Amino acid sequence: MMELLAGIALIADPVTIMWIVFGVCFGIVLGAIPGLTATMGIALMLPLAIRLATATGMAMLLAVYSGAIIGASIPAILLGIPGNPNAIATVYDGYPLTQKGRGAEALIAATVASLVGGIGSLILLAFFAPLIARFTLRFGPAERAALALVGLTIIASISGRRLVKGVLMGAFGLSLAFLGPDRITQTMRLPLPAITAGTPLAAGIQLVPALIGLFGISQALYDIDRLRSGRLSPPQVSFRGSFPKPRVFLRMWRLMIESLGIGTFIGAIPGAGASIAVFLSYQRAQRRTASSDGDTRAPELGSGVLEGVVAPEVANNACKGGALIPALSLGIPGDAATAVLLGALLIKGVVPGPTLFIDELPLVYAILFALLLANIFMVVFQLLGIRVFPKVLATPVAILLPLILVFSLLGSYAVEGRAIMAASFNMGVALLLGILGFFLKKNDYPIAPIVLGLILGDMLEQNFRRAMRLARGDYTVFLRSPIALAFLLLAVASIAYAVWSSRQAAADEKEGSGED
Amino acid sequence: MMRRVFVLAVGLVLMAAFSHAAGPPEVEWPGPDRTISVVVPFSAGGGTDLIFRELVDEMNKYTDAEIIVDNIGGAGSATGTNEVLGLPADGYTVLASGAHTVTATLQGLTEGYRELEGIIGLNWDPFIVAVHRDAPWETFEELLAAAAEDPEALSFGNAGMGGATGVLTVGMNLHFDEVFNVTPFDGGADLIANFLGQHVDIGVFSQTEVAEHMGEMRPLMIVHPERSTIPELSDVPTYEEAGYADLNVPFGSYRSLSVRAGTPQDRKEILSDIATQAFESDRFQEYMRRQGLLPEYSRLDGLDAYFAELENLFYPILEAADLLAD
Repeated sequence: MMELLAGIALIADPVTIMWIVFGVCFGIVLGAIPGLTATMGIALMLPLAIRLATATGMAMLLAVYSGAIIGASIPAILLGIPGNPNAIATVYDGYPLTQKGRGAEALIAATVASLVGGIGSLILLAFFAPLIARFTLRFGPAERAALALVGLTIIASISGRRLVKGVLMGAFGLSLAFLGPDRITQTMRLPLPAITAGTPLAAGIQLVPALIGLFGISQALYDIDRLRSGRLSPPQVSFRGSFPKPRVFLRMWRLMIESLGIGTFIGAIPGAGASIAVFLSYQRAQRRTASSDGDTRAPELGSGVLEGVVAPEVANNACKGGALIPALSLGIPGDAATAVLLGALLIKGVVPGPTLFIDELPLVYAILFALLLANIFMVVFQLLGIRVFPKVLATPVAILLPLILVFSLLGSYAVEGRAIMAASFNMGVALLLGILGFFLKKNDYPIAPIVLGLILGDMLEQNFRRAMRLARGDYTVFLRSPIALAFLLLAVASIAYAVWSSRQAAADEKEGSGED
Repeated sequence: MMRRVFVLAVGLVLMAAFSHAAGPPEVEWPGPDRTISVVVPFSAGGGTDLIFRELVDEMNKYTDAEIIVDNIGGAGSATGTNEVLGLPADGYTVLASGAHTVTATLQGLTEGYRELEGIIGLNWDPFIVAVHRDAPWETFEELLAAAAEDPEALSFGNAGMGGATGVLTVGMNLHFDEVFNVTPFDGGADLIANFLGQHVDIGVFSQTEVAEHMGEMRPLMIVHPERSTIPELSDVPTYEEAGYADLNVPFGSYRSLSVRAGTPQDRKEILSDIATQAFESDRFQEYMRRQGLLPEYSRLDGLDAYFAELENLFYPILEAADLLAD
């Protein structure tokens, strides 16, 4: 009890709270700029944080982390461009909602969802951290490879009726993931190695520039194209009756709990990351909305449904608490952002890990309390900002679209910060994939499977090969691990369901073709 | 035509004048308003990053210029190294070099140390070979006997083939007739997670990593002629004490500072002096003791010679692991 009070006392002073407010605001702005990630924000603030008292510095970094995640949902919803990988799945229903004039409502739903995810995972972190951390340790190479496979089946869900095109795009994404050093032997896998070996391509295609190109630049080009042909009407954002009724959220309680579980758990598996969690929870939302009322005429996910915003936003905020679970209880970072947080602790001479809960209990409580405050401030500032953010859309499109292009390129440059060569290369990647994405979009190919392939290709390949190496070529390793086996069955079921529902949809279309 | 030639000539004269004004007669380099960046070719918060941040913090006390750390990770350490090689050789960009630079160069990922010149050699961070507390082996000898019974049944994890732990595991495996199944993981944190989950039998870790996880790791030997200066690890036997005095592998991570070849000698000397003062400061010496880092000081040409020694040590190991550039 004394430790709890001592911990709260470390945070509950005006200076620390001021740093939390600063961190949240900085994080929101940073997250809202396409390409700037939470990791980057934390790394940027690291030198400042280590000059502050340990608890104060950690509180500020956690505030940046929280702000950057919620900030990323703003451009995802309003412009169809995820601020960073956390908001990849928020785009699918967030942007259509904006186009329907319900942008403010979507932003508020995302904010409520973020609060649920943030606080929910904080509770799990506070009470079950050692337990969850122990369980995630059972995720070895075989289990992670199987999880990645489940993730790839999401391609089927997000492609909808364009199943073949979706699979094709997923394969393209996978092949992008193969560029660069072989993850096991470190030998180079490059086209024209004589020319490309010394270039930044040797490090492979980075996720963030790919994301900016495929979502940001391609969207801007697409809009310019529509503007030219007079088919682009700027979306209107009205505030009247924009606050979704509480019962809308109450209706989604199961989805929220599922997304919370998925987010916290995936976040806690070292190296899995929020981008997988948001897609998995989005897929759950799809299943839920499809099966809840048995009515196939219910608004389809992807056409602008609040569930499609809520699920990933609960999950990505839950990931934040989740990633701290192995970080604090085992000293292993759950993602890149928590790796920098751990670094900050180490610089201050605090060793994270099992002993942290014994030697530094007040600090642990301080971190938890700081995270609570960061979550609350994040929601407060986001809600205040909602009155301002949609004004972006009031900007004439002729000015807005070039601005988006400029920010997208800046964002892709900033990924590598001061590495001039790699940063310029990333701009090229973003631009090329942007142009490619534009043509794909025009021809009705889904873009998201490329990103999924790129993210999961790496995870699948290296863990599969590692598992095979550890098992000395024995494939039954995937059947002997109960976790891996369960994932494999889930993957099979997921594919079967996708095939079945796409046939069903095709049959329905034939039947009711006169009604549309 | 004449006009153009004239303009060109005037331009050249002006340029010469300006470059002269900015050039030689400098008594005080780097000058109080300039920034020197130390490029750490790994991401922020990692082991190597923390050591250089500590050093840079101390270096700032001995110069009026501002010295900062820039993290440029990727492709092992090749991305950051290549960035340094792409910038002017003016002493304003310094690379956090070391064993990783040698391995990345030998792998052909960068021109690396062939295009670099030494400023200061700092220290070794010796690695520890450990098994899980629940594992049956109490000594390295027992482990080796078990491995020899069924070659490749026991997995020996490292944090990535191209890095220092990769070289160590491959080198040890060669020395012990390839009885281990050397398996690379995706960085140090990934290796620890898999080790704690007992997905890999043996691991190679830095001392701080072992000290953090003493509850679950059983250190079998430290790959260095001297014992660790970290109290918890002081009873871990050295490889000589464990009975393998002929084990000729790199000890662990070696760290140094380098600049691009062609940097003026006087600037290199100034940088070296600043770094030496920081290195010799009580604070940094105490920091190294606490972290178990073993000083291995050299400067300028001395470091270049040391790099050549490292290349000789690494070459056969990388060759055997098929990691050399074609």
